[in-house]
Amino acid sequence: MTVQAEAHAAHPPEAHQSSRVDARTLGMFLFIASEVMLFGSFFTAYFFVRVSAHTHWPTAGHELPVFVAGINTIILVSSSFTMHWALQAIKRGNRAGLQAGLTLTFLLGLTFLLTQIREYSRLGFAPYTDAFGTIFYCLTGLHGAHVFVGLTLLLAATIRSYRGHYTADAHWGVEIPGIYWHFVDVMWIVVYTTVYIL
Amino acid sequence: MTAVTHDEVHAGPAPPPTGWRRLLAPGWLRVPWMTALFFGIGAGITVLVRWLEGWDPIWKGSVITTVELTAVPFGFLAGIGGFDYWMRYAAGSPTRPEDHSGHGARSWRDYFRINTDHKVIGIQYLVTTIFFFVAAGLLAMLMRAELARPGMQFVDNQTFNGLFSVHAALMIFLFVIPAFAGIGNYVIPLMIGAPDMAFPRLNALSFWLLPIAGFMMLGSFLAPGGAFASGWTGYAPLASTHQPIGSVFFNMGVQWAGASSIMTALNFLVTIITMRAPGMSFWRMPLLVWANFTTSLLVVIATPFIAGSQFFVMFDHVMHTHFFDYQAGGYPLGYQHIFWFYSHPAVYIMMLPGFGIASEVISVMSRKPIFGYRLMALSLLAILVLGFSVWAHHMFVAGMAPWLRVPMMVTSMVIAVPTGIKVFSWLATLWDGRIHFDTPMLFALGFVSMFVIGGLSGIYLAAVPIDIHTSDTYFVVAHIHYVLFGGSLFTIFAGIYFWFPKMTGRMYDERLGKLHFWLTFIGFNLTFFPMHWLGIQGMPRRVADYVPRFADLNMFISLASFGLGASTLVFVYNMVKSWRFGPAAAANPWRSLTLEWQVSSPPPIFNFDEIPQVVGNPYEYGVPDARHAVFNGDRQVELEEVPTR
Ligand code: HEM
Ligand SMILES: [Cu+2]
Repeated sequence: MTVQAEAHAAHPPEAHQSSRVDARTLGMFLFIASEVMLFGSFFTAYFFVRVSAHTHWPTAGHELPVFVAGINTIILVSSSFTMHWALQAIKRGNRAGLQAGLTLTFLLGLTFLLTQIREYSRLGFAPYTDAFGTIFYCLTGLHGAHVFVGLTLLLAATIRSYRGHYTADAHWGVEIPGIYWHFVDVMWIVVYTTVYIL
Repeated sequence: MTAVTHDEVHAGPAPPPTGWRRLLAPGWLRVPWMTALFFGIGAGITVLVRWLEGWDPIWKGSVITTVELTAVPFGFLAGIGGFDYWMRYAAGSPTRPEDHSGHGARSWRDYFRINTDHKVIGIQYLVTTIFFFVAAGLLAMLMRAELARPGMQFVDNQTFNGLFSVHAALMIFLFVIPAFAGIGNYVIPLMIGAPDMAFPRLNALSFWLLPIAGFMMLGSFLAPGGAFASGWTGYAPLASTHQPIGSVFFNMGVQWAGASSIMTALNFLVTIITMRAPGMSFWRMPLLVWANFTTSLLVVIATPFIAGSQFFVMFDHVMHTHFFDYQAGGYPLGYQHIFWFYSHPAVYIMMLPGFGIASEVISVMSRKPIFGYRLMALSLLAILVLGFSVWAHHMFVAGMAPWLRVPMMVTSMVIAVPTGIKVFSWLATLWDGRIHFDTPMLFALGFVSMFVIGGLSGIYLAAVPIDIHTSDTYFVVAHIHYVLFGGSLFTIFAGIYFWFPKMTGRMYDERLGKLHFWLTFIGFNLTFFPMHWLGIQGMPRRVADYVPRFADLNMFISLASFGLGASTLVFVYNMVKSWRFGPAAAANPWRSLTLEWQVSSPPPIFNFDEIPQVVGNPYEYGVPDARHAVFNGDRQVELEEVPTR
């Protein structure tokens, strides 16, 4: 029963696949689970400041640009559709569609991020103004950081698509960043609702 | 192992670099200049932003330090080669083939490189964590020297605060948690019949985050104003105001260590779910795998909360935000809620893998099937769920809403039930067994007995009235050391001795092992048991000085603790000597059934020449003809003969 053999094989034996789920997809979903919890801790802080400490929202004299942020929301949500489009394209082997979809998604995401930075400079309050400012900046900033990570992944996928990678039956490098990007979108809707609208 | 991916183009193996090009190759030559480069980038961006925004002063020490605690580690990781593959992948360049040159270790130098072999990484983990264990232990010796007599002798108050804070932070984040990750890394793929972890490159990266976190925390002693000094719990607003810059070293150190454990947990989960050998159903997994499975779930779900809490404190400290500043609308108690929502589950992160190790050792060494296998696995899951409902038992005296006390008291007592189930199951496994008192078994038995004492003092503390009396006293110190030292540490030692022959291919010195156990066991009890007494009498924890009536007992404790510290020398000597000169170990010295023992010691470079077929339960000791797995040659015959249980 004991295998005393030295390793002569230059290659590992193929691992047995014991689940129908693909390892990379599962990894991404677990990663997203922990990201959700990270957002959860920030929302807990939001809850403590707004509900437990009874902070006015927004504090007197400040206003949140609900309308501009609304436009920005539409931009980000539409980028989810272009992402989906890109993935569908490569599944049919349509490389031009993939490239167009990815590029468009990237640009929409970038627009979102730049708009948000622009908004920051016009708000008239800062993270150190009061607890309301703290929570506002930290929640939107946390989300912004995730948009940045998502954009980095998208950039890699886009570059690779122009350099001839991905085919109709090998495109996990598009699919996985796509899952993350949808997560970033959904998270923004939650942030927008709780911070701007409620 | 990464499956063949059709959308990757592979380049041939890279020729070894020569001349100045060696500076560009991943490794220690690239580390210094990459680190410097990232330092420059971090400082440059900070200064640029401050200049553009017109903030004064442009060069602000605390801000630069904070930024650099992020940038410099990235430089280090980039230098050592943690990102090379992904950079080439992202650029669409041909990636280096998975030629497995990063597999296996041919000389000690290979342990100081990025290595994708889970066996190498496991050993990297263990050696690193033992280094930090010794460092943190020395800090404890300093503390006990100061506490031997009332009055101030060797250190001032602020330094003392730094000593216990760094001691605890290192023991928890750089020793107990990652040491279990190290054992898991080595053993899990072997146990489930996989050639490696699911994401070998991520695995390598998660290891290299650890030394970063550890040296960051140790390095805080060198920061102006001294080390972080608000305890490993880092309560705000204390930690976010009135603290030297060293406290940012703690905030960031926790982030790096936390990122490392989340990445490892992800890897464990995906490996366990997708890479089990044929026939290895969940109900045939060894309990160590079960334990790491639940622990990893805890890590993935809970660790982001401590990340959040440390971000908040750091922002309050450096950027003057107001998360915990009551006057500006913040909520001071929020810190403790968020922190303990992680840190209570974290005590199970620090214990469940130990339960797994104890189960393996006790079953093998009493030559009996584990009693109530399924209940053992289910009780792990019960702890996982219940663990999230008890956090506020750390806050009975914090001034939280009084109605929360009783529910938290009840849940805290309920969680002792699944824990008790495990203890009874170990006892029932031992019952009537043919017990072999080898060193791993001694540590496992020491664990069971000491953990019971720690669990009992836990129940005491969970009772609100008792906790109000003993909160922040040495009673709590006794409790945490009975569960963490007598519990986690004993199982880590059990695991290290148990798998030492597998990892090194050599046998440790049994006599020294036994000596180590008895010195530790006696020294441990002499040191920590009297602390219960001190605590009930009212001696507060986390102080450098105390009233003279506690003097005798403290002197006794200090002397005992030096003996306990010295016992570690026996361990280290035994490990070093046996690793180099020990007698060659057999493939299966403990006559165990689980898969890692069915291959040579140390295992072949890819673990298995062919993936085994699992045909039965892992613990059928003493059951005639029972088999856990069969290998290629036997497979056909075996499958017909052995009924699948
Ligand atoms: C039977 C199960 C347990 C119960 C009911 C329990 C209960 C408690 C309570 C009520 C406290 C708060 C004491 C205070 O600060 O006033 C406490 C502290 C603590 N417990 Fe446990 N405990 C249990 C098991 C464990 C285990 C298994 C571990 C770790 C392996 C652990 C580690 C700790 C630590 C580290 C602290 C101190 C935290 C600090 O620094 O303030 N406990 N425990
Ligand atoms: Cu607790």
